[in-house]
Amino acid sequence: MLFSEVYGTYYNVLAELLQHAVRGELTREKMQAVIREKGFEESILTIPDALESGTWPLLNRDLTTPLEHAPTMPLTELQKRWLKTLLQDPRILLFDPPTDGLEDAEPLYDPDTFVYYDRYSDGDPFEDPAYRKRFRCILSAMRHKRWLRVRFEGHNGRQHYWKCIPYQLEYSSKDDKFRLITANHRESVSINLARIRECFLLEPYTEEEYDPKPMKKRILIMELTDERNALERVLLHFSHLEKETERLDGKRYKITLYYEKEDETEMLIRVLSFGPMLKVLYPDDFIKKLCRRLEKQKNLRTRTE
Amino acid sequence: MAYSELVKNFERIRDYLRQFYIYGFKSRTEYDKKSARSYDNERRRLESWLGDYMRFRQTADGKNVFLSVDSRSIPGNPLHQAFKAKSFTAGDVTFHFYVLDLLQSGESYTAQQILDLFWGKYLSCFETSWEPDLSTVRKKLKEYVSLGILRAEKKGRELYFNRAEDRVPLEAWKEAAAFFSEADPLGVVGSTVLDKLPEQPACFRFKHHYILHAADSQILLQLLTAIREKRRIKLINAGKRHPDSQYWHFVLPLRIYVSTQSGRQYLLCYHNRYHDLQFFRLDYIRQLELLEEETEYQTYLDDWEKFRSHLWGTSSGIGWNVDRLEMTVRFEDNETYIPQRLEREKRNGRVELPDANTARYTVETYDASELLPWLRTFIGRIESLECSDPAVVKRFYEDLEQTCALYGGES
Repeated sequence: MLFSEVYGTYYNVLAELLQHAVRGELTREKMQAVIREKGFEESILTIPDALESGTWPLLNRDLTTPLEHAPTMPLTELQKRWLKTLLQDPRILLFDPPTDGLEDAEPLYDPDTFVYYDRYSDGDPFEDPAYRKRFRCILSAMRHKRWLRVRFEGHNGRQHYWKCIPYQLEYSSKDDKFRLITANHRESVSINLARIRECFLLEPYTEEEYDPKPMKKRILIMELTDERNALERVLLHFSHLEKETERLDGKRYKITLYYEKEDETEMLIRVLSFGPMLKVLYPDDFIKKLCRRLEKQKNLRTRTE
Repeated sequence: MAYSELVKNFERIRDYLRQFYIYGFKSRTEYDKKSARSYDNERRRLESWLGDYMRFRQTADGKNVFLSVDSRSIPGNPLHQAFKAKSFTAGDVTFHFYVLDLLQSGESYTAQQILDLFWGKYLSCFETSWEPDLSTVRKKLKEYVSLGILRAEKKGRELYFNRAEDRVPLEAWKEAAAFFSEADPLGVVGSTVLDKLPEQPACFRFKHHYILHAADSQILLQLLTAIREKRRIKLINAGKRHPDSQYWHFVLPLRIYVSTQSGRQYLLCYHNRYHDLQFFRLDYIRQLELLEEETEYQTYLDDWEKFRSHLWGTSSGIGWNVDRLEMTVRFEDNETYIPQRLEREKRNGRVELPDANTARYTVETYDASELLPWLRTFIGRIESLECSDPAVVKRFYEDLEQTCALYGGES
């Protein structure tokens, strides 16, 4: 049972409050702070009242509790089964977690149950020991806040040597690839993990040196004509981006999207894939690039006819 | 009934999540068939759970509320919050903390002993309206045993309860749990695991990350159980055409198809009535019940293996008839990424290189029109396009002309 109160935010908040109460350290201010930090927006209206009125008989009036231990809950069977399932995924080799305590758990599903039918076929080599070693080296650098030295192969085959601060590992399910995002002073850069040939830990970095840059976003405004179920298809397809949709009339919609500058070519072909259902209104340079491709295609056709 | 930010039933929320997240242009009057108050309550709940991601816009039709998330820059899927808002009674929550406290040091007690200790150790401190009896305690103990939180052991004629063993070193799992709570289709379970950790790692972010599938996790979990146990099911499919359908489909679930380019999930199953393999979108499945085990399960999987060799997406066209499609693209000397794209993005078929600047992709597939969106991504390079179904080529070039016309080109 997935939708159960034992996994709920209220139970988690209460567990934390009771932890403080068991130690005799709970105050009204602390209660408010924990609820505001860990609860939902309106939990503050419910939880203190239910505790202090005795509706939930867990706290005495002086905010102590008859409980003897700081609350803990064993992992449920569902949680253990989920962890056991992960042990069958090739990507788990990147983390190599201990299997203790999961001996009797049944996986929730077998790896071939899911078919990712439109995933690209040249994903990262998760089973390659050298790739895994580099992945763990990067994770370790993030964990211990250390600089990294990486040697990687550029698109033209040239070798590059960089010293960088690792910020995050970015995974794309469509590409089935990881990229390293850096947090150096200058612009944030990304390197495909599969292109990294060597990496090793350097000295710790300072707070001042750690400077992740926000992603550079561009705006794209389009008009959608809702034919052939285009509305749902387009909105779902671009749903991972920050967006806003306005209805213009019965069939036409204005969609505003925010995308990363580095993804412009990808956005261009994604827009093209919807054919005449999408018309780009802004920005002009994006429109120009679209028109260039359309023009080139028309010329190719004319030439071959 | 007074408003609460918690809910008993997830099903209504599932629909609102979808509407706010995908569409987001509807006003209050367009939402609820039943009452405006329901809309107000559900909207208020979503604001309460997902406040940081809710957006508003005032239009002539009223206030539009929508969810806007750049899934590349969020610490975790915010929709998981909805699964953590299950309502409970005072008895539920009191039982939870009392019983886990009572059994924390490894003791075993019978249901009667647990009830007595509740009164003796805890409830005597309070003036409370919760007065548990033996049957309530037994019922809750049984529930906790089924969740795997407690264990029941028979000693003589008595049933004793203690805490389930938990030897999983969670701290050593934290990075894996952080990754898979987003990357795994049942990541919501992972997010409940992460809730147990004092700090959640922020070392990952996700590109092309579709988060809405999380709303269908309960349905997915049931389907995975059916597949693992090779059981038949019955389901109600309330798709766009039949949103209020009450018709039960009797099917044998075989696989879950997932699109990494839209986030849609589909059940592939054998349909008893149509005697054929069929797809159902998970977000359209409203109800589902597990039925008996299928002893010939492997036979159906063998059918699927044959079926999938000509499948591009999730359409089998008409009667498994196969179309043949061939696309030839031109590329420059410095554009070798074009044949590479064909190679990695094709799902079946083959790529040939007739010369140094030409690549030809050929495929035999059930429904060639499914390829159209992908073919359009090669616009500007397509030298020829041929298909045994002429309607596909016609549609491609008509769409091309219409697209050109949008930007002032000739139509």
